[in-house]
Amino acid sequence: MRGLTREPPLLLALLGVVALVLAFIVYPQVQVVIAPGSDGYAAFLQGGTWVTPLRNSLQVVALSTTTAVLLGFLYAYAMVYTDMRWKPFFRLVGILPLLSPPFVVAAAYILLFGPRGIVTYGIFGQTPIIFGLMGIWGVQTIAFFPFAYQLIADVLSRSDARMEQAARNLGAGPWQVFRTVTLPLSRPGLGAAILTTAIYILEDFGNPQLIGGVFTVLPTQAYSLISGFGDFTGAAAVSTILLALALALYLAKLRLDGGRSFVTISGRASSMPRPPVPPGLSWACFAGCLALSGLILMVYGALVVSAFTIAFPTNITFTTTNFQFVATGSNGDALRNTIVFGTVAAAVSAVLALFAGWLVQRGDWPGRRALDFLLIMPAAIPGIFFGIGYLTAFNQTWLDWVDRGWIIVLSMIFWNIPVGYQAAVAGLRQIDRSLDEAATSLGASKLRGFRDVLFPVLAGSLRVGFVTTFVRAVTTLSVVIFLFTPPTTVATIRIYQLVNDLNWGGATAFTVADISLAIAALLVFALLARGRLVLGMARG
Amino acid sequence: MTPQLDRRAFLKLIGVTTVVAACGGAATGPSAAPSVAASVAAKATGRINIYSALNESTNNELFAAFTKATGVGADVLPLAAAGELQTRIRAEKGNPKADIFIGGDSSFHDGLGKEGLLEPFMSANASAIATEAKDPSGNWTGWYFGVFGFVSNTDRLTKEVSGKKPKTWDDLLDPAWKQKLVMPDPVKTGGGYIFLATQVFRFGKDEDRAMDFMKKLHPNIAQYVGTAPQGIQLVSQGQFVGGPNWSHDILTEKAKNPGIDLTIPDLTGFEIGAVSIVKGTKNLPGGKALVDWILTKEAGELNVKLSNRVSVRKDVAPAPGAPTLDQVKLVTYDRAWAADNKERLIKKWQQAVGL
Repeated sequence: MRGLTREPPLLLALLGVVALVLAFIVYPQVQVVIAPGSDGYAAFLQGGTWVTPLRNSLQVVALSTTTAVLLGFLYAYAMVYTDMRWKPFFRLVGILPLLSPPFVVAAAYILLFGPRGIVTYGIFGQTPIIFGLMGIWGVQTIAFFPFAYQLIADVLSRSDARMEQAARNLGAGPWQVFRTVTLPLSRPGLGAAILTTAIYILEDFGNPQLIGGVFTVLPTQAYSLISGFGDFTGAAAVSTILLALALALYLAKLRLDGGRSFVTISGRASSMPRPPVPPGLSWACFAGCLALSGLILMVYGALVVSAFTIAFPTNITFTTTNFQFVATGSNGDALRNTIVFGTVAAAVSAVLALFAGWLVQRGDWPGRRALDFLLIMPAAIPGIFFGIGYLTAFNQTWLDWVDRGWIIVLSMIFWNIPVGYQAAVAGLRQIDRSLDEAATSLGASKLRGFRDVLFPVLAGSLRVGFVTTFVRAVTTLSVVIFLFTPPTTVATIRIYQLVNDLNWGGATAFTVADISLAIAALLVFALLARGRLVLGMARG
Repeated sequence: MTPQLDRRAFLKLIGVTTVVAACGGAATGPSAAPSVAASVAAKATGRINIYSALNESTNNELFAAFTKATGVGADVLPLAAAGELQTRIRAEKGNPKADIFIGGDSSFHDGLGKEGLLEPFMSANASAIATEAKDPSGNWTGWYFGVFGFVSNTDRLTKEVSGKKPKTWDDLLDPAWKQKLVMPDPVKTGGGYIFLATQVFRFGKDEDRAMDFMKKLHPNIAQYVGTAPQGIQLVSQGQFVGGPNWSHDILTEKAKNPGIDLTIPDLTGFEIGAVSIVKGTKNLPGGKALVDWILTKEAGELNVKLSNRVSVRKDVAPAPGAPTLDQVKLVTYDRAWAADNKERLIKKWQQAVGL
């Protein structure tokens, strides 16, 4: 862009972002990709053990993405368009599945819905087979719909009510408005939601590992090659296959949304309310959200009950020993590290993602497509390889002075950047360039236009980036498993250790403590953000 | 360095030498040459970094006892997953952070040793250990056995399989077990693969007979799970009736839920829990002190108490309910062969059962 040469600070900022991406996404990942060597790849590909997992992965991604996005859209629509009650409650419950540390939550599903599950067998006398494809599909739908919901709700809430009002005034019914106005205008958000959800499902390891049985997908294969057999070469090759798949998804998405315009926020102010939806629809949405929330709460309820009993479900004597255990030794440090790392990573990641989204979406400099892909790519890298890449790249003698906590935070920042980035790009595509131009023609630099004009409008995208990065950082096991040191242990590592120790009570108590702390932190952030936004508006 | 510091360090060294020499002498018994113990102990001081694949509940007490016995401090990185620790040590080879790698089957250690990432050390205390439980080149030393057993849910076993626990693995082919068993996936878990390889060794490396067994067993397996402890958990919950699994973990779960039981069918497989010193260690004497100590009777007994595993030392009694090595019939398990033929066997198994 011409602005680059005219605005040295902008050029510097761009170079800075490129340098960060090269140093913290590309460089560590290259370490993993080159590890097997050409012979290693040839041997592994010829071995053919990857074919079935590849097929399974594709199948799971297609099924789970469809249902997760559908559910996420319904949830988002209900939250943004209807005047149903209990919205704050649903908003909170909608975040819960994002807050599920691997292993424990999937185990709670088995406890409830397994062959001798409390619900399936205890109430209905059924012995369903939830292991395998069906189980993965169900659990992933619940686990990943919140991603889609967050991204879609952000886009829907930014859509212009005037267009919908106009359509209604012209005689269109609610369904027709939805189909011909709302849906098309939310396409960038939908595209971003589908792509992000699909890539995260592709990369999901925890759920298939616990509930998949023999149904192996690529991430579980990669993981088991390392965990069961120490076969790093094969595992790195599998990881590369995953990257290739992510690239394919990315290209498909590029084709999907072509070069159309989705602008719904222009320079002119809009204060029109959304057209009301029929009360029947509101109630239907309420019922749907209630059912979904009920299911989610049941799963977390099982965790809470497990945490307060000796050996749920065989011995349901009430006890607080599990929580006493959580309070002993260095467990408190692990919980503190979790929250501190998550907060720092989320704050940096969200702002960086928004800024990078602006650079890519608003710029016209060469190579922005490449940067675009590189910023989405981390979503497709299984966490263990992100961690191994960081360990290989940054465990250097000359870096020994750097506290390991910083490396962990950096890995969380860049591993989680895709959601915030996708949200920022989707948001920006709905904002008319005349808004930036108004600022620049009044003499503001582009950077200032970003800071003072776009940044406030994109608060929603920023929130999406912050919240998802925070919850993923708080719940990730796979990234930190290769990076943590005794003083930088986090809650998920402790939970993993307890699960392997067959200490179900301790593991669930730890999970409950972790989730509660994370929710408390999110509530504090929400309060702080509200104060901040009010201040910002007063200033503007 | 000031002369004063020098002197303090010197005095400390003298003190440690005296204390540890005394301990070493007592622990290794009169037969061990006192000069060896003293020369090792003379340098053992400071702290060591331990990458431990042992259970959570074992780590704390075990290494606290080590520090108490030797004066060497221990910083433990606990991760009950030997494969992850192995990968970590490999990824860190340019700038090693671990001094000791402990726990997990010897094959995880052996892989590192073959890549030259371990520091060979033959402890004087290892002399009494059977040759197959230690590396001839000294890269690793075995110090416990994990035996593969069978977990059953007593209530469901009585009602549905007429209470018959398997005496041999072949007993599991009984149609009464149809869709009632759960076992670790041979593809995803080290334990599951040990079970598969055990069958091959049980039939004297007659792979066709072994695969025939696995094929007939398949209809009785309701589920192959991705981690071994999950199998025990599911039987404990009553989701399934029984399954092959690690006997020490079964005993750990049984302490919490008496409704399950352990049996050890004949000709079963096992892991050799190993310890090794990582090449590039900054505290070699400290690492050697740990290997020496972990092979003592005292450490063996403590580990049995904490983890229910079986010591390599014949003079260490097993945990209550656990078998001694004389009581169980183990297969002749060819570890090197099992590692080299892994991919081939797994593929053969997948074809046999149609997965």
